[in-house]
Amino acid sequence: MSTARDRMLAAVRTGLMSAELPDASPERPADLPARAAQTVEAMVTRFTTDLTALTGEVHHAQAITDLADAIAGIAATYSASDYLSWHESALGWPGLIDILTSRGLRRVTYDLPFDQAGRDADVRALAEVGFGLTGSDAAISEGGGIVLVSGPGRGRLASLLPPVHVAIVRTSQLYPSLPDLLAARPDLVDRGSNVTIVAGPSRTADIEMTLTHGVHGPKRVHAILTA
Amino acid sequence: MSDAQPVTFHARVDKALADTALHQALSTTMNRLAANRTNAFAALPDADALRDQARRIRAHTIANLDRYLEQFTAAAERRGCRIHWAESAADAAATVVGIAKTSGVSLAVKSKSMLSEEIELNHALEAAGIRVVETDLGEFVVQIAHDRPSHIIAPIIHRRREDVAALFRDLLGATDADVATIPAMTAFARKTLRHEFINAGMGVSGVNLAVAETGSLCLVTNEGNGRMTTTMPRVHVALLGLERLVPTAGDLAVVLQLLARSATGQAMPVYTNLLTGPRRRGDSPDSRGEPDGPDELHVVIVDNGRSKLLGTELAEILYCVRCGACLNVCPVYRHIGGHAYGGVYPGPVGSVVMPGLEGLHRWAELPQASSLCGACRDVCPVRIDLPRLLLKLRAQAVQGHMAPAWLHAGMKAYSAVATRPMAWKMMGNLVGRLGAGLATHGWLSRLPGPLGAWTESRDFPAPAAKSFTNSWRPKADRKRRS
Repeated sequence: MSTARDRMLAAVRTGLMSAELPDASPERPADLPARAAQTVEAMVTRFTTDLTALTGEVHHAQAITDLADAIAGIAATYSASDYLSWHESALGWPGLIDILTSRGLRRVTYDLPFDQAGRDADVRALAEVGFGLTGSDAAISEGGGIVLVSGPGRGRLASLLPPVHVAIVRTSQLYPSLPDLLAARPDLVDRGSNVTIVAGPSRTADIEMTLTHGVHGPKRVHAILTA
Repeated sequence: MSDAQPVTFHARVDKALADTALHQALSTTMNRLAANRTNAFAALPDADALRDQARRIRAHTIANLDRYLEQFTAAAERRGCRIHWAESAADAAATVVGIAKTSGVSLAVKSKSMLSEEIELNHALEAAGIRVVETDLGEFVVQIAHDRPSHIIAPIIHRRREDVAALFRDLLGATDADVATIPAMTAFARKTLRHEFINAGMGVSGVNLAVAETGSLCLVTNEGNGRMTTTMPRVHVALLGLERLVPTAGDLAVVLQLLARSATGQAMPVYTNLLTGPRRRGDSPDSRGEPDGPDELHVVIVDNGRSKLLGTELAEILYCVRCGACLNVCPVYRHIGGHAYGGVYPGPVGSVVMPGLEGLHRWAELPQASSLCGACRDVCPVRIDLPRLLLKLRAQAVQGHMAPAWLHAGMKAYSAVATRPMAWKMMGNLVGRLGAGLATHGWLSRLPGPLGAWTESRDFPAPAAKSFTNSWRPKADRKRRS
């Protein structure tokens, strides 16, 4: 007995025999030539302009204490005292969590259990956390995108559940566009179960084309640029 | 607002044309979306080269679809996805219901998916006793109002804020403060839906494009409901139209450079989400796995008429990436909106897809609902020649005797006159004289008999009082004499 898979593939092959497909080549089209490289300064400027236009905010920090100041400052703006975070090694700043703890910020850790009841209880507890803190794997200057790849210690919920998302972005990780990024870092696609590119706060314009932020994801997004 | 739509296309069009609020909403929204798109493309370097490349990628993929389907499913299975094949809408819906029952799911959340509308998934889930909640704000309103989306990417452009406020108050118990402003209504929806996300056992999403090489699913949203749906529940089911593939992640990047710009004028969506298998567990007790994400990821690959469409002269429509740009610029869509078309997919793309998937006999009027102006072709990110496809369908309708009887009779009468020079001359003189008498400012606003159907909704240019031959002859005679 044939399976649905066999029948569907056979139907596709039958269709292909008489399909009228203008501009179809038998070989995969050659990639477009790469665009001219851009300076880090140019990309920082563009990233800042585009993310700000989306109502995201851009901060700068050099030393770890600057970084902790920036994070604590953002937390204070929203009166947030606890946060969901990537693991310290994934943030790329050893010692940062301790400094944040010393400033009165409590890190909420989680690892969702593989059973429905335990999972529900954990997610419910996480839903009230004040802000989310992540690193990033890359950033895209045109459009202000922050690239997050999931993995051990690199949860998806930190950039999704809380009302505020704070991302630490190294300027050396900037690329002009998504094609440039994937040409340089094809490994990112399959490194975790999820790659998310975040371009500003969650938004909708479904009701009368009126732009509104924070419908499901964070209402505020802060990128802290480090050298 | 009544949601019952008239049965015939012309009655639906009449209803839409009489709806002034709809006109207002359509014109504001479509102007804004079309202008946003124009600006976004003006700011994109090498936009034309990217569109050519996107077209080549999609054309090549469709021409090798069997191979890419095999490559995609093998890669996705290696990453732990479970692949299901569904030949029909009913098979697809039954597959999703089956997954829900096996996992003991009583509540499912959904992110926006036109394919789920096509297979009438909500119906099937509810019939099986599974509650299903739409989480895109627009689709959520559509669901509680028992309505249908009227635009591929802006589902409730036909509704005013007062409608939404009334629905939230009457059906969800919102207070006056909850619905005082659009941000308040949005916050109310967030609170309501957050609760559903936390309690749902299954998330159902569509797929914008899948990558054959890596087995990844790409899903773009602005609200974040796509991420919530594919992250929070323990089980994620993704519905994939069998044509929605690209060979590599690099190819995906090319199409993504165009998708949001075409749809809304955004350089990129707020969330570009790439999913490669379910949450990854650690290799050993010491090596930790990913802390969140779905434990199961099911991909349901749906045919439902696509492979049949592939074998026809309409196959180019399968290049489509469903951005909605052709709706926004279409003079017909801009006047009648999405509901009047009657199918799941409205606008120029729908006028090819609906007859292509379900048969021209069901949707014979749709290819006629176009002025063939070509605006859709001009904005299509993969340069689909929509007017060409609409003309093919019109020709099929004539050949299949699905065209209206008056068209056949009219063409026969025309041919009888046009092939006899004397009759042609006499008719020309007669029509010219009659036309000149009835016209005002060179236009006829009412034609007699069955021709009146034309002038019901538009004027007809008056024929010249003197035919070309009659104007030419005296001049030619004078020239010969001199």
